[in-house]
Amino acid sequence: MASASAARAVTIWREQYTELMRAAFLVDLQYRASIAIWLLWGITEPVISLGIWWSIAAGGAVDGYTQGAFARYFFGVALVNQATLSWDAWNIDRWIREGEMNYRLTRPIAPIHEAIADNIAYKAPTTTIILVVWIAAAAFWPAVRVPFEPERWMLAVVAIVLAAAIRFLNGYATGLLAFWTTRATALVELQFGLSLFLSGRIAPLSLLPPGVVSVAQYFWFPYVLSFPVEVLTGSVMSTAQYARGFAAQIVWLAIWMALYLLVWKRGRRRYGAVGG
Amino acid sequence: MMDRVRHTAIVMRSFWQLNWLEELQYRGNFFASLLGTLFWLAMAILTVALYFRHTTQLGGWDYWDVVVLLGVFNALAGVVECVLRPGIGHLPTDVRSGALDLVLVRPVDAQFYVSLRRLDVWRLADVVLGLALAGYALVHTGRMPSVVRLLAFGVTFAVAIAVVYSIWVSLMSLSFWFVAVENSSALFDAVFEAARYPVTAYPGALRFLFVYLIPIAWTTTIPASALTGRLQPSLALWAVAVGLAALGASRLLWRVALRRYTSAGG
Amino acid sequence: MPNAIVAAGLSKTYDVKVRDPGIGGALAALVRPHYRQVRAVRDVSFSIERGDAVAFLGPNGAGKTTTLKMLTGLLFPSSGGAEVAGCDPWTGGNAFRQRIAFVLGNKQQLLWDLPPEETFRLNRAIYGVSASDFASRRAELVDLLLLGDLIDKPTRQLSLGERMKCELAAALLHQPEVLFLDEPTLGLDLEAQQTIRDFLGTYRERHGATILLTSHYMADVTALASRVLIINRGLLLYDGELAALVARIAPIKRIELVLSESVSRARLAEYGTVAHYAPPSATLEVPRENATAASARLLAELAVADLSIQDPPIEEVIRIAFGEGENG
Repeated sequence: MASASAARAVTIWREQYTELMRAAFLVDLQYRASIAIWLLWGITEPVISLGIWWSIAAGGAVDGYTQGAFARYFFGVALVNQATLSWDAWNIDRWIREGEMNYRLTRPIAPIHEAIADNIAYKAPTTTIILVVWIAAAAFWPAVRVPFEPERWMLAVVAIVLAAAIRFLNGYATGLLAFWTTRATALVELQFGLSLFLSGRIAPLSLLPPGVVSVAQYFWFPYVLSFPVEVLTGSVMSTAQYARGFAAQIVWLAIWMALYLLVWKRGRRRYGAVGG
Repeated sequence: MMDRVRHTAIVMRSFWQLNWLEELQYRGNFFASLLGTLFWLAMAILTVALYFRHTTQLGGWDYWDVVVLLGVFNALAGVVECVLRPGIGHLPTDVRSGALDLVLVRPVDAQFYVSLRRLDVWRLADVVLGLALAGYALVHTGRMPSVVRLLAFGVTFAVAIAVVYSIWVSLMSLSFWFVAVENSSALFDAVFEAARYPVTAYPGALRFLFVYLIPIAWTTTIPASALTGRLQPSLALWAVAVGLAALGASRLLWRVALRRYTSAGG
Repeated sequence: MPNAIVAAGLSKTYDVKVRDPGIGGALAALVRPHYRQVRAVRDVSFSIERGDAVAFLGPNGAGKTTTLKMLTGLLFPSSGGAEVAGCDPWTGGNAFRQRIAFVLGNKQQLLWDLPPEETFRLNRAIYGVSASDFASRRAELVDLLLLGDLIDKPTRQLSLGERMKCELAAALLHQPEVLFLDEPTLGLDLEAQQTIRDFLGTYRERHGATILLTSHYMADVTALASRVLIINRGLLLYDGELAALVARIAPIKRIELVLSESVSRARLAEYGTVAHYAPPSATLEVPRENATAASARLLAELAVADLSIQDPPIEEVIRIAFGEGENG
């Protein structure tokens, strides 16, 4: 009996997600020109960073990073970044201000599921595009080639998915602060700014002052970009480093999931008390 | 002619007064804006500091020279955020919503009106902060500029604003053709990032891109060069020619686009 | 008949920031913000049987939407409680939401860039409607609302009336027990208003859904509901049959005039009660049965540029029925 209703629940979930993702994908298709521009905008930062580091490394490897290693690293950053983008805070803020939260709160599905489906529908194709570009580039630019190691690649996929989940929950939970303040998006931007360094977006983490790196390790920042990129690009890592990285990802996923549930519950009550 | 200019000026002034009153209502905005700018400026300086942890020169520019350029970039970005984005950057939305038609029936030149109707006044602080940073860094380079160099900077900075403005006008004019694209300003943001660093800091292929194909990096490199003494002051006059040409070309594109818009019935 | 909606002493009070106009006030508010309490809903109680249609009338800001938002679980009451479709709106969770639909007149849930058909599909999955139920309900709704091929056009290409009809269809695919409608005919042309009123009547007959709608159009009431709740400034002023209300207010009509020559107020008063006098326009109130005759006299005896006969607006009904002014 219990398994029958569980099976039914799974079917319902599957149908709901299928339709949500389908609708999101169809809308994205309509906006493909805008999305192409966003894609371009998204890769400029790693391209420029790569350009600068490439110049710096012209005179020899920087702390073990040759020009080729930088190229691989920043291609990885472009890919992982695309998979871990977070924009939901802006949507939540707009929905609350413009009354579009109401119908989301009176239908039998929590608003977060629409956001998850929206994220998957957007990120899967666009990340694939970056992957395809990377593969094409690797055809005539040996520097960006990644060693052929299928098991590592599978681990990289896991790391990227975990990173995407962490950053999604982090962005969504912070965005839910819009129930209390109009500056929730500013908080997301603040975290984004810090992540420039602490996530390894502007440079591989080992190039940062050691003090900064150890501070970063106390937060989720390295595990939403630097760690998956290192796994993906074939950096030399010991088993202990793999284990520590994945363990940290799982811990931070749990933490942000808990924080989301907390903020959601409180935020829902706040909305019910004061409205939009 | 002078009457028209005066009339336009009066219209502009009343819009700016309304603007100011509106902005005053959002008390948080100024401090939020200021904090934001200070934060991002700090991030940018730290980035440059990080680069210079591993090198002594970027494209022939040393640390304080690069910070001067960063200040110029920030000031130019401040002009973009204060004037361009809220003004002409709003054009695609107005085209789509039909609000542009309300502008076209007014007895003011449409391009002028659209460009200056709305200012994000708090962002002027960005311009001030950027110039202040550039000044501070200049002191540290030990090469204080002469009056001529300062003049050259003034001219080239004004030209940079003109060039950036022309790029925005051209990009937004395209929105008359590509109505579905709502984020054309993101195209500007993308390439403008390259103007953070001196053009010479980029390696071969990228430098070709930024020098010849998308010459946006020059908008900061040239004024910063003038300020740090890298630029022959006479070249500033050539820059004026470039600026005027850019303004003229974008004005032409604007008029073509507008003609198409009005004749197509909007 | 069991009750579909029960409201017991619902109240809602807000704290709102207060600011004086002008630059001085804006600067003062920077330093020392003031608050005042707004009692949006005050001790509202009523019950609605299953299958009934009730209209919730009141001027703007009366508390209608706030009450509806409490009944649908969006807002939590400051005090009081309610039961809707057998559930507590605030703790009923998804089981509760399956049984209701909430349609807001000015905010839509249709996907903007896609045809309404896609929103139907999405709602089918979200509400877990079976394929066969979906097919038959969809067919019925398309038929009753005269949707035709509207559902295949992108939502942004539809007119307001067409969007509202599709919005209703999307909201009813899961056949809710209780349907909450907030200003459903607001801003629509007369034909669309009529279609929606006819539809709601037919739908209720067929499926026994309970309907609670808010409006500030009297016409919505006469077409749909036999019972009205009148709310003003948070207070429930009247709960009863429409016929009784009509009998209670002196049945009047308003004659709105635009005069081409100036006429004194006293002169106008010879034709009826002068409700509004601002030359060249004026409004007279006359007993319903005398409206036509009075209009004929006005047209013949005065220099009238324009004349129209109207029902008094809901604010006037309230004023007349309960002796309260809008700010009274």
